Amino acid sequence: MNNGLLHLGSSTLASSDFLILAGLLFLLGAVGVLVRRNPIVILVCIELMLNAANLTLITFARQQGNLDGQIFALLTMVVAAAEAVIGLAVLVDIFGARELDDIDDLSELNG
Amino acid sequence: MAEVVFWVAALLALLGGVGVVVSRQPIRSVLSLVVVMLALAVLFLLLSAQFVFVVQIIVYAGAVMVLFLFVIALLGPIKESAQGRLRLQFTASVIVILIMGGFFWVMLNGVQFRAPQNPAPGVFGTVEQIGVALFTSYLYPFELTSVLLLVAAVGAIYLSRVDKGTPGE
Repeated sequence: MNNGLLHLGSSTLASSDFLILAGLLFLLGAVGVLVRRNPIVILVCIELMLNAANLTLITFARQQGNLDGQIFALLTMVVAAAEAVIGLAVLVDIFGARELDDIDDLSELNG
Repeated sequence: MAEVVFWVAALLALLGGVGVVVSRQPIRSVLSLVVVMLALAVLFLLLSAQFVFVVQIIVYAGAVMVLFLFVIALLGPIKESAQGRLRLQFTASVIVILIMGGFFWVMLNGVQFRAPQNPAPGVFGTVEQIGVALFTSYLYPFELTSVLLLVAAVGAIYLSRVDKGTPGE
């Protein structure tokens, strides 16, 4: 019994290769959300993290030979699209109306 | 052959991810994310998810990213002041990231990777199979996504309206 090999054609890529790549991409997205202060870049980094999650879903779907993971990934894409639409609309509303430098200026709720 | 495709796509995805985080201009971040998405689409095809591959390119790399570009063009440049207002933001971020990376490392060592029970047949992940699954077992979540998209569309139209007064005034 070989451990987690995916049998893609003649090659033997392990599913851990895909999972490590997804983990690294998720970490990169998390770094961006924490470090950057441009609201558009923060939204882009959230999309990056969602994409990394999709990669794990599809890897596990392939490993289990089961379509559920792919359906889950499709639903994630729908939710991500809705999130991007609402996030960008809020951004346009706030940053179009006021003179702000970056996201640190949105501190009205700071007690 | 598949290994070469995997390593090239993985390298492109990682380079694009670094580009997303370090680019000074938002438009470069968005274009780097397009690179990441195209590389991930290739990996989806490698994992025999044909339908998700097509949706990733058309909907994600196409429509969603064009939306981002529109907003950047609409807002013009947003400056990012070099001095953050939160003290220790960078240091705290590094600590959080190290902890998170440690968790990933431990989890990946703990996962029992096993071979697929049934080696995937040649028709795994086709449009036909996805369609059958979406309209039988997953009909309820699929219909719920339509409500979600409707709410998102109505919300976006409301938020971006210039005149916020009550209609009919």
